[in-house]
Amino acid sequence: MRTRPLGCMTFTALVAAVIALLAIVGVIVVTGNSMFSPGALSALTVTDGAQAVSTGGVTSHAQLEGRCDACHAAIWSGQKMGDRCVACHADVATQSATGTGLHGKLDANAATCLRCHTEHHGATASTTLADPRVFPHEQTGFVLTAHAQPAVAAAVGCRSCHPGSPRDYKVPDCVSCHQKLDAAKMAKHTDTYGAQCLNCHDGKDTYGHAFVHTTYALTGKHAGADCASCHKGSTTLAALRTTSTTCATCHAKNDVHQGRLGQSCGTCHTPDGWTGAQLDHGTQTTFPLAGKHAAVACESCHVNRQWSGLGTTCASCHKKDDPHAGKFGADCASCHNASDWKDAKFDHSITGFSLAQAHASVSCDKCHANKRFAGTPTTCVGCHASQDKHNGVLGNRCEQCHSATQWANASYNHNAAAFKLVGAHVGVTCERCHSKAPPASTVTTCVGCHAAKDVHNGSMGSVCETCHKPTAWMDVKVNHNAFAFKLTGAHAGVACSQCHKDSSPRNTPTACAACHNKPASHDSHFGGVCSSCHTTKAWRPAAFNHAATSYKLTGAHLSVTCLKCHTNPSVTYTGASTVCASCHKKPANHTGAMGSNCGQCHTTRGWSPSTFNHSTTSFPLTGAHTKLLCTKCHTSPTSFGGLPTSCVGCHNKPSNHPSSYGTVCTLCHTTTAWLPIHYTGPHTFPMTHHGAGGVCANCHAATLSGYSCAKCHANAHGGSRDQSKCASCHPDGRGGD
Amino acid sequence: MRYSELLIALALVAAITAGYFVMTAATGVPAASGFIGHLMGVVGFALMLLTETLYSLRKRAMRRPRGSMRAWLRLHIVMGIVGPYLVLLHTAWTFNGLAGALSLLTAIVVASGFIGRYIYTAVPRTADGAVVEAQELTVMLEALREADAANPATASAAARAAHRKIERRIRTIERQMAALRWQRRALATWHTIHIPIGMAMFVVGFAHITAALYYATLLR
Repeated sequence: MRTRPLGCMTFTALVAAVIALLAIVGVIVVTGNSMFSPGALSALTVTDGAQAVSTGGVTSHAQLEGRCDACHAAIWSGQKMGDRCVACHADVATQSATGTGLHGKLDANAATCLRCHTEHHGATASTTLADPRVFPHEQTGFVLTAHAQPAVAAAVGCRSCHPGSPRDYKVPDCVSCHQKLDAAKMAKHTDTYGAQCLNCHDGKDTYGHAFVHTTYALTGKHAGADCASCHKGSTTLAALRTTSTTCATCHAKNDVHQGRLGQSCGTCHTPDGWTGAQLDHGTQTTFPLAGKHAAVACESCHVNRQWSGLGTTCASCHKKDDPHAGKFGADCASCHNASDWKDAKFDHSITGFSLAQAHASVSCDKCHANKRFAGTPTTCVGCHASQDKHNGVLGNRCEQCHSATQWANASYNHNAAAFKLVGAHVGVTCERCHSKAPPASTVTTCVGCHAAKDVHNGSMGSVCETCHKPTAWMDVKVNHNAFAFKLTGAHAGVACSQCHKDSSPRNTPTACAACHNKPASHDSHFGGVCSSCHTTKAWRPAAFNHAATSYKLTGAHLSVTCLKCHTNPSVTYTGASTVCASCHKKPANHTGAMGSNCGQCHTTRGWSPSTFNHSTTSFPLTGAHTKLLCTKCHTSPTSFGGLPTSCVGCHNKPSNHPSSYGTVCTLCHTTTAWLPIHYTGPHTFPMTHHGAGGVCANCHAATLSGYSCAKCHANAHGGSRDQSKCASCHPDGRGGD
Repeated sequence: MRYSELLIALALVAAITAGYFVMTAATGVPAASGFIGHLMGVVGFALMLLTETLYSLRKRAMRRPRGSMRAWLRLHIVMGIVGPYLVLLHTAWTFNGLAGALSLLTAIVVASGFIGRYIYTAVPRTADGAVVEAQELTVMLEALREADAANPATASAAARAAHRKIERRIRTIERQMAALRWQRRALATWHTIHIPIGMAMFVVGFAHITAALYYATLLR
């Protein structure tokens, strides 16, 4: 049996498949691609009047029947179906791009055509779905919130507002439906606000019972008022919202005051009613009612009920009551207040002459005799001339010294004048200076007043203030540095009279000796020029610059007194010897051996330690020698220079050194110490030879050049060998040959 | 059970119908081009393809058989009912052009399937589903008659029941033997109608799918 992969692959089945394929191809050839169509295309047209509008060359999609590629872009074309839509419907593309028209409002574009549009639902089917449940109607500017409520939606369809076609975007006629709900209300509503419902209504806000009148709270009688009373003729939201809130806008025609009281009704009235108005005369008029005004009847002032235009000056009402017959002008309030006419207070300061202090309490007729007010003088002497205790000496401007308080306690501020009062001048009476001439011409120089008292009899000139201060005559302050003799050091502190014995300071001599006596210690020397040693700071220390002489003072010399060296009063200072011995006696331990050139060993810092440099001699000190006293070697007083430099000059040979060892100690010893020895010469035989112990005399009993081993080896070789020649056979000190 | 495959298919169809009505009530008749419509079309067509291929492959898998022929036929019948039903719902009840022709061909194939099923079951088969030849039927009939004679219907209730079962089986085999000749001829004739029309249906179906992909490109 022949095996087929599938049961369907029978001969007849394959024939059927081929026939089906041929049939499909045949139908495509005959009818175009319409056999693939899922339904007929819409034959609806858009009309402009009686004329069908042509878009993309056709008046309806039905004319595209069989031309599938008009809308269905091939997969490889890169286009989508929406691109094909806007290829013909260019106006939609423009709306999308510019945000205008319905498609602009809906934010529709080529990618979203299929949200609302469809095809293949038959020749009479609309190409627009626009399901009200999903259509974003709020984007058109009108929300379907209220109209989509179940109870309403049942009776309302798209065509209720868009009669004819949903394409009809003209402002819908709301009234025809809404007047069925409440004809009377609608009639009144349209009468008040007009019939352009969408001017205010957006489908969301009904402005009905729940509307809160927030921008202008409705209180009192406003709460129950008819909306039209205020909003009549406002046909847009903007007009409603900008309705004037001033009272007069609505109530001007009812104004019982006929406009006399202005338009700010709210200052007296409230929305609770016109009656019961409250006027606060203090804040709501320019004339607060104070004192007796508060109690009088309104008509006392508002004669004939004239409420505005009244003057607020006293005279406007009280002119007829003026007992001054107009002499004091019309400004009653400058003296009187609203409480009582009699409670008058005249402010004398407005006359230009304030009544201060003592003037405040005198009776008016003291100044205004015979009730004469005008022309009253304002100068002090105008009233007080007869009381001048200065008899005119101090002029007539009393106020310069006196205040209005009382005549006593006069206090002239002399510092305001050219001559300021300081020091003792403050306490003197005015007349002491001003008795001879009026204040303006009183001289201001010291001698002008004090010439008769000059104790210097004119010798110091007339400019007293060079030395004297106004405090007191004896409070003298001299700038002595302005003179030839400047006061320095201790001179600055002494009293003037220490030097100036008489009243003629300019004649006082300037030499030191003129004031200062020589002390006894100076007697016949030191000359007469004190300043060569002394300064004005103090007598001591005297500061002679010894470095300027041929003998500079150093070390201990700096602290000794002059007389320690300059002992002989008969000898002048310039001739004093500079040799040490001329002052210093040799000490006992020198006994003349050190000569007289002390400076060779000593410095001025101190006698001890001496600092002789032994290295400059033929015998430099090394080792133990450096620590010895000079006198250890230099025992003889004869001379330092003659001492031997050989060791034996000082050191005796010890008993263990045979005399034959010679006197060249340095052959074995150093100056560091006698022991240990440091033999540095030739010694072929080991010095560490057992038994010798490093003691030279054990082998070299007699001389250093010869030796004998007999001390230890006397019996060697039976005593038959020469003991001084052992090394010939035993060069290294060992036994055997 | 004798009609179990039909009951299973009926249950599935009922469940799908219930879901379809729920959707229709909520959003209207699912459009052929919508997600649900396409889903039904794609799943339905896939089931129809499997209906043909799986059973056909099993029939020829003699060397490595998986499951009985009868079980595969029952699956074939279930899928052959449910698949076309889904495709029918996919049409959204419009029958235009090529898609309409496809619907018609599908209806013919399904209807012929029902007829074929009855012709098929009339042909005597072993428990495995293989066709029993007339000679074997004769042997079986004689064996049953001997058993019937040896087991008279006089004893217990159980014996009487067994007797009635044998009697019914004898009558069936007698009827089958009588009809066997024309039945085999009818089945052969049916095959030459059911399979070619099915083939034509698949060709038209693929043309429909290709056109849909090309023109609507899944409605992009």
